[in-house]
Amino acid sequence: MALLDITDLNVSFQTNDGTVHAVNDVNLSLEPGETLGMVGESGSGKSQFSFAIMGLLARNGRATGSVRFDGQEILNAPLKTLNRIRAEKIAMIFQDPMTSLNPYMRVSDQMAEVLTLHKGMSKRDAVTESIRMLDAVHIPDARGRVRLYPHEFSGGMRQRVMIAMALLCRPQLLIADEPTTALDVTVQAQIMTLLAELQRDFGMAMILITHDLGVVASSCKQVAVMYGGRIRETGPVGPLFASPAHPYTQGLLHAIPRIDHDGDELAVIPGAPPNMTRPPAGCAFEPRCPYAREECANSRPVLEPFADARSRACFVPLDDVLQHRLPPPPAPQHVTQGGQA
Amino acid sequence: MFAYVMRRLAVAIPTLLLLIIISYILMHFAPGGPFSKDREVPAAVLANLNAKYGLDDPLWKQIWDYLYGIVVHFDFGPSFVYPDLTVNQLIAKGFPVTLTYGILSFLLAVLVGVMLGVTAAIWHNSWLDYLAVGISIGAQVLPNFVMAPILLLIFTLWYRLLPGGGWSFSDPTFWIMPIIALATSYMASITRITRSSMLEVLGSNHIRTARAKGMPERRVILRHALKPAMLPVISYLGPVFVSMITGSVVIDMFFSTGGIGKSFVDSALNRDYAVMMGVTILLGTLTILFNLLVDILYVWIDPKIRY
Repeated sequence: MALLDITDLNVSFQTNDGTVHAVNDVNLSLEPGETLGMVGESGSGKSQFSFAIMGLLARNGRATGSVRFDGQEILNAPLKTLNRIRAEKIAMIFQDPMTSLNPYMRVSDQMAEVLTLHKGMSKRDAVTESIRMLDAVHIPDARGRVRLYPHEFSGGMRQRVMIAMALLCRPQLLIADEPTTALDVTVQAQIMTLLAELQRDFGMAMILITHDLGVVASSCKQVAVMYGGRIRETGPVGPLFASPAHPYTQGLLHAIPRIDHDGDELAVIPGAPPNMTRPPAGCAFEPRCPYAREECANSRPVLEPFADARSRACFVPLDDVLQHRLPPPPAPQHVTQGGQA
Repeated sequence: MFAYVMRRLAVAIPTLLLLIIISYILMHFAPGGPFSKDREVPAAVLANLNAKYGLDDPLWKQIWDYLYGIVVHFDFGPSFVYPDLTVNQLIAKGFPVTLTYGILSFLLAVLVGVMLGVTAAIWHNSWLDYLAVGISIGAQVLPNFVMAPILLLIFTLWYRLLPGGGWSFSDPTFWIMPIIALATSYMASITRITRSSMLEVLGSNHIRTARAKGMPERRVILRHALKPAMLPVISYLGPVFVSMITGSVVIDMFFSTGGIGKSFVDSALNRDYAVMMGVTILLGTLTILFNLLVDILYVWIDPKIRY
């Protein structure tokens, strides 16, 4: 049985400008120990997707569909039920380690409360266990530092503290929402290595939410590409990156700056993501898609399997995408580096 | 920390000195004097009075003598208007009254204000929120000089439940209306500040983390959100506490409580120099002390602040 089974997940927000449809008809399943990469640009709905699983949506948010964890329905479950699952079965680490830890509490108190609450440990044992976990995420002198406040740690160290805190109860699933975005590149690599190592040691499944394709390529087996709140393409990471079957995936991969190519021009996907208050009637990527055809503007493609373990949501024939057969007005525009990015 | 407190206290001395000198000079140049009455006083009598209280000395000597009396004898001089009372006696008589209803009023305002504010923030945009905001706006637009007569009308004239004025340390029924009348508008401000600060904290990332850790909502509020939410409230409470315990003319007038609020205004009207100076110094000292206390509280709440 799948560890996590998501069917028809929709997330919308009531705002003064109308209803924002952040996540639409997402179906996913995750096996124990598996790593799923979720990629997409800012505003594609990936963070709201993860908040919906944890029941952490903002007050004006509404989630429909079904999220089953270990067979138990957890979407819109009562807070009591959720609080028994949070941290204990599903843990989460957030994008910004600078603000995600409580600046007014000692690290020891913040970590220990997880164990005293979920495991009924004494404060003393909980702190000892917290120190062990800080050791596990390679924080030097964990025993001495556990009494410090978050602002006395560097950014990378704080993210390690976040990770250690998330792993305290040995959760079966870790949701990492852009865990390395706020960190510099060398620290990013350390954190990703650490996550992979811990995942192996603890045997937990992970959903890695990121817009960094490099991170996905090196640490995930499965990828889901999100755009406009919908999954556009899913599949094993190797084939998906080698031969992207959706124009958006292709655009994303094409937009990665490469150090071995001539460096003064940066490829972009022209246009901007759709306004999710009034989502387009057809494919949300149609206005920016170089392959767009008439039907794309009028009806919505659904996710359909096309090869071994791969699916995509697109009307353009697979061969056209794979072989870059564009209809007339051609290729993605180029913008000079340093111009609008 | 200790060194910091010592340093702050050391700075307080010249501050107070400056306060005394400037107040004295301002008072000196204000027209009229303690002995200018409706009925003309014979010139010889006036000269004698001025000589008795040292008012014919040059200004610098008056200030010097005044400071000398305070520092050496802790003597704030005799009242110019009530010949048989000294300023020390006047303050000793009025200040305990003011202190009693001031502190109780402060506690009431803080307790009710913080509770209403937190409630409103937790149930943001619900009827509870609207009720709390409604009460706070209502209390805000009822200043104490409106609140006091309304209370008197209801509880003394209509229902005859509470005494309409006077003060007794042994009978708390005398305390109730002054406390409520003084507390309402402060309570309203505290509610608003608490509510907006709590709303901000509840939307912050570390609260989301606490929820993601499966903390029950009660613990999220009490253990994670309340402390940071109190920071802006506390910086507001420092000066408020001083102004509440140094009393209110309005309260002293409407309820004849005999606190120092009324003495202060009377002294200004009567040009009772010594009483005015005495109350000014009391106020100044308390303000300096409580601002220091607020700064110390900040260190205790926010670990990022170090002196």
